[in-house]
Amino acid sequence: MALLQIAEPGQSPQPHQRRLAVGIDLGTTNSLVAALRSGLSEPLADAAGHVILPSAVRYHADRIEVGQSAKAAAASDPFNTVLSVKRLMGRGLSDVKQLGEQLPYRFVGGESHMPFIDTVQGPKSPVEVSADILKVLRQRAEEALGGELVGAVITVPAYFDDAQRQATKDAARLAGLNVLRLLNEPTAAAVAYGLDQNAEGVVAIYDLGGGTFDISILRLTGGVFEVLATGGDTALGGDDFDHAIASWIVSEAGLSADLDPSVQRSLLQVACAAKEALTDAESVEVAYGDWRATLTRQAFDAQIESMLARSLKACRRAVRDAGIELEEVEAVVMVGGSTRVPRVRDAVGELFGRTPLTEIDPDQVVAIGAAIQADTLAGNKRDGEELLLLDVIPLSLGLETMGGLMEKVIPRNTTIPVARAQDFTTYKDGQSAMMIHVLQGERELISDCRSLARFELRGIPAMVAGAAKIRVTFQVDADGLLSVAARELASGIESSIQVKPSYGLTDGEIARMLKDSFQYASDDKVARVLREQQVDAERLLEAVQGALEADGERLLDADERMVIDLQMQELRELMKGTDGPAIEQQTKRLSQVTDAFAARRLDSTVKAALAGRNLNEIDE
Amino acid sequence: MGTPCHFALFELKPSFRVDLDQLATRYRELARGVHPDRFADASEREQRLALEHSASLNDAYQTLKNAPKRARYLLAMGGNEVALEVTVHDPEFLLQQMQWREELEDLQDEADLAGVEVFKRRLKVAQEELNESFAACWDDAAQREQAERLMRRMQFLDKLSYEVRQLEERLDD
Repeated sequence: MALLQIAEPGQSPQPHQRRLAVGIDLGTTNSLVAALRSGLSEPLADAAGHVILPSAVRYHADRIEVGQSAKAAAASDPFNTVLSVKRLMGRGLSDVKQLGEQLPYRFVGGESHMPFIDTVQGPKSPVEVSADILKVLRQRAEEALGGELVGAVITVPAYFDDAQRQATKDAARLAGLNVLRLLNEPTAAAVAYGLDQNAEGVVAIYDLGGGTFDISILRLTGGVFEVLATGGDTALGGDDFDHAIASWIVSEAGLSADLDPSVQRSLLQVACAAKEALTDAESVEVAYGDWRATLTRQAFDAQIESMLARSLKACRRAVRDAGIELEEVEAVVMVGGSTRVPRVRDAVGELFGRTPLTEIDPDQVVAIGAAIQADTLAGNKRDGEELLLLDVIPLSLGLETMGGLMEKVIPRNTTIPVARAQDFTTYKDGQSAMMIHVLQGERELISDCRSLARFELRGIPAMVAGAAKIRVTFQVDADGLLSVAARELASGIESSIQVKPSYGLTDGEIARMLKDSFQYASDDKVARVLREQQVDAERLLEAVQGALEADGERLLDADERMVIDLQMQELRELMKGTDGPAIEQQTKRLSQVTDAFAARRLDSTVKAALAGRNLNEIDE
Repeated sequence: MGTPCHFALFELKPSFRVDLDQLATRYRELARGVHPDRFADASEREQRLALEHSASLNDAYQTLKNAPKRARYLLAMGGNEVALEVTVHDPEFLLQQMQWREELEDLQDEADLAGVEVFKRRLKVAQEELNESFAACWDDAAQREQAERLMRRMQFLDKLSYEVRQLEERLDD
């Protein structure tokens, strides 16, 4: 464990060395940013002292409003006010229609298949709306911490698919944030609890947010958090509880089912308030216009029973996938505002046979955990005692094969990072191209799975059917993002893509948005680019310097060392000036000359880990 | 990629009998060294190497952890790649396979959860017996054919236990 740091609040013991990094919980209804201060992870407040930022964005002709005031305008300005945008991330227009008619927006098509929301500022993609929320949090953090951020850990529901993850990462990029890692929300919560209680053993994290539900089963061993299985539903959350109450009002009050957007919004506000009141009260008076009635907790419990049952079924499946029995789960942690509903707590407690833990505020626990991990990733902890999070992919990844079937290449709950290859062959004589269709999901028919991407491997030399050997390699990185490469083994013809989800933004759209955001920002574009080049150079210099201090003596001979020192010197000289392209060029050069050193260091870490173990064995 | 032997990576002697707790402990130690999280602020090249190293470490761990995969790996180590799909001549086991499957179908038709529990326990006993038999013969060249047969039986039971999980899911409504 880290030593206790003695410092006054807000006063860092080593002001020049600490690298500022934050954890951001980008939620369906609420968002938060947290950071480690004086060794303690805590959410950061805005000027008015509020920690929670409602995930609401209202577009005016000349400005953008984010948070509580935007949320309050939802009923009066429904077309320009976007709520629960997370539900649209990584989704296509057809998916969005399935979410129900409750969405009041006017959708327009874009260059990609993404649904754009028509506002007074023109069409806005869910990624841009999310970026607008992130920008506010970034600014809040920079003001509270007093400096530029090295990076951020952004949390995502564990059950998010590749398209939803990619969309989240794009949003962060658009908001000018360097993403240190996309971290699964339940894993982040486990970090907050695990550290707090120094826990060991198997824990279940039940995370019911505004719009998403996750269940993760983890094994905690000496600072290693190993996710055994995860499951969930990216379209289940407290919003659905509100909708249930709202439909009850509609039928009880005899309202027409065809409601205009502003009525829908105010009904949902009434419903949400009733739901919250029922956390403490046994019954609540509900009024809408002239109509009024009493909603008892019992009646509300009955309205949400089927949704709750869905979540419990996912829990049982995750436990089975983890290869354990329910009784082996030693602690259950509640995360997400919707776990305040008493019926939810009771039902989860009954399933696992133990009282769920609620000590850490369920709205804040994810951001708190993310901030702890952000601090580690930014390199502020180098004592060999860092946490290690071993996460999994939530949904199987595979390829389309003959007959419209999905062939799994990586099954769900496989630990990431992972790389796996599968060989295919041609089915026609002289076939010169092969379509690679990448899918995600558990079902057999491709029509029941999510299509992530399609690409074509061309230039296969003419051969008889079945003679070509095409190796398709899947690689999932630590963010849970997939890239796919295909290669014909005889000819070496290669084709690879970073999977750009079918429902993601096209490169053209991203370029336009980045350009727009530069224009919105008052600072000069050139200055900004230069600043980015300088930051990249600084990062590399620091990394190399650190590596040299740790292992330079051991792993480099005098000549190699001299080359690296010279290139570093050169880069430092250039950093004094403002020649951006030269800095970029020299950064690349330094990176190249340190390649071999980097490889050696990594190999030696593996050896060191082995050596460390041998010592232990001798002790026995 | 010229991957080193999985057993060597964990500094174990090639053997079918593996202490799974010990394997898990060593896996965590190694993962600490190479996980991309350790290199979040390092150069792009280092990050890519960490990704590759971690992925192959995870692959090695998954292979050694799972009995049928470990068995297949051991048999392939001598350079004798074992074909994935072959027509197996194992009439005795074929008969048993059909019996298992029929039973599973009956359990599904009757939605018999208690029956599924009993089935799972029997399956587990059968798996343990197979493991024992394999452990006794895999490194004897004279019994190579028998070892391959046992490995295929292990694979079948592994698949069957996956089907049991799927059945449990269907019955859980």
